Amino acid sequence: MNHGQQSGEAKHEDDPALTEFLGSLMDYTPTIPDDLVEHYLAKSGFQCPDVRLIRLVAVATQKFVADVASDALQHCKARPAPVVKDKKQQKDKRLVLTMEDLSKALREYGVNVKHPEYFADSPSTGIDPATREE
Amino acid sequence: MTYGDGEGGSQRRDSQRGSNDFAYALARMAVAQICEGVEIRTLQDSHSREGARFSSFQESALERLTDVVIQYIQSVGRTAQFYANMAGRGEGNALDVVQALEDLGAGLGFNGAHDVERCLGDSDVVKDIVRYTGEAEEMPFVYSLPRFPFKKGKRRAPSFSGIGGEMADEHIPVWLPAFPETKSKEVEETNTEKVGEVKSKENGLSLPSMQQSLDVDRLKVQKSMEQEDVQEPAEEPEGNPFLAAPAWVSDKDVPRVFCPSEPTNEEDSIGHVPEKQKNIPPPEAHAPPGMINDESRLGGTEDGQKTQRALLRFKIGTRKASMCWTIKQSLEDKGWFLEDGDKREKKVEREEKLETIDTDVK
Repeated sequence: MNHGQQSGEAKHEDDPALTEFLGSLMDYTPTIPDDLVEHYLAKSGFQCPDVRLIRLVAVATQKFVADVASDALQHCKARPAPVVKDKKQQKDKRLVLTMEDLSKALREYGVNVKHPEYFADSPSTGIDPATREE
Repeated sequence: MTYGDGEGGSQRRDSQRGSNDFAYALARMAVAQICEGVEIRTLQDSHSREGARFSSFQESALERLTDVVIQYIQSVGRTAQFYANMAGRGEGNALDVVQALEDLGAGLGFNGAHDVERCLGDSDVVKDIVRYTGEAEEMPFVYSLPRFPFKKGKRRAPSFSGIGGEMADEHIPVWLPAFPETKSKEVEETNTEKVGEVKSKENGLSLPSMQQSLDVDRLKVQKSMEQEDVQEPAEEPEGNPFLAAPAWVSDKDVPRVFCPSEPTNEEDSIGHVPEKQKNIPPPEAHAPPGMINDESRLGGTEDGQKTQRALLRFKIGTRKASMCWTIKQSLEDKGWFLEDGDKREKKVEREEKLETIDTDVK
């Protein structure tokens, strides 16, 4: 398909990467519903009658969220585990998406969501939050 | 970065929440679903691929992430629209979206970012997305959504041809939406009936109460007529005389024009005004002379003025105004409650004055 187009009209060679993807988009249902994405796109001024574009944005957003979540998960896992009383507990460590992990992950994407410390009058303010019991 | 201003999110979230509760809740669920499906695969010796997943969220963290996602979508939309407008188009297309995604991904970088003449169709951003769709498991949204946002069907005003066909004005084509019903036609018909009743009522009542009873009766008759054929557009503001339709004075007797050079009328008016129960000192003090003259007409000599008053009362008013009138009727029955009565009468008086001003102009 690439070469056919290349020899024929004056089209770019790799155009099909996008067109193929757009064609396959109708088979893939993104997690974020189309209507929701369309609503927010329309809110910012982008109106498009083509569903595939909306799905493209939805998939891109899903990818973004997945990237951020996986980064946060890695931060969460990389944190030294708390004091383990049983060996069994260590395996079943529950991973919770916390604000600290999220802020670290989003930091790489240029989003600053630093959670301010409200406990200003205790001497343990500012100490590494992992050691503090919450 | 367009979405670098994440710290303003908390205030914006409150306002977002206020207006977009439903959308926000849906976005939150979708984001939670995506995070649930994120898995880190680690290879260990003893186990085959072990996926570590999030088991739960901190609520504030989820909300922050939802805010960021919403802003991301809006940024993509804004940037895509920007690129479309730069190219002179009103609607965005796929290449605009790809460019927007590239812009937003520029912070992290993507393959081919250095190449100025790269083809957008070949953009690495797209390839990343393709790879993602290949790898990640497909999770459709758990709930089926109603068609969102709801679009209420607007009832269009019927055209002239739809209503009835004939139009007095030839310059108006019949396919245009029809004018809303004006009350002037009914006023003309009721006026003649009302004149007879006025004289019978004038005996024991003071002027304002008589006026009100007049209005009430007239509007009752009007109401019965109105209920038959009125299509009131909902948009017509209620009780706002400035937006009311102008009165037609073509067929009825033109009320006597008040000449400011007649001192007798003024004296009469000033003399009469304190007698009125609904004494309104502020309008007298502050109103322009025209208003006082109108008051004079209202409160003036009784003989010819009565008929004038009957003619002037049109109600250009709407139904709400008639409700006002009915309230006053009940008040009149019970006796005057001065505070409430004054206020309501003030409102009525002002409407009357404005209406009379309209007729004067004509």
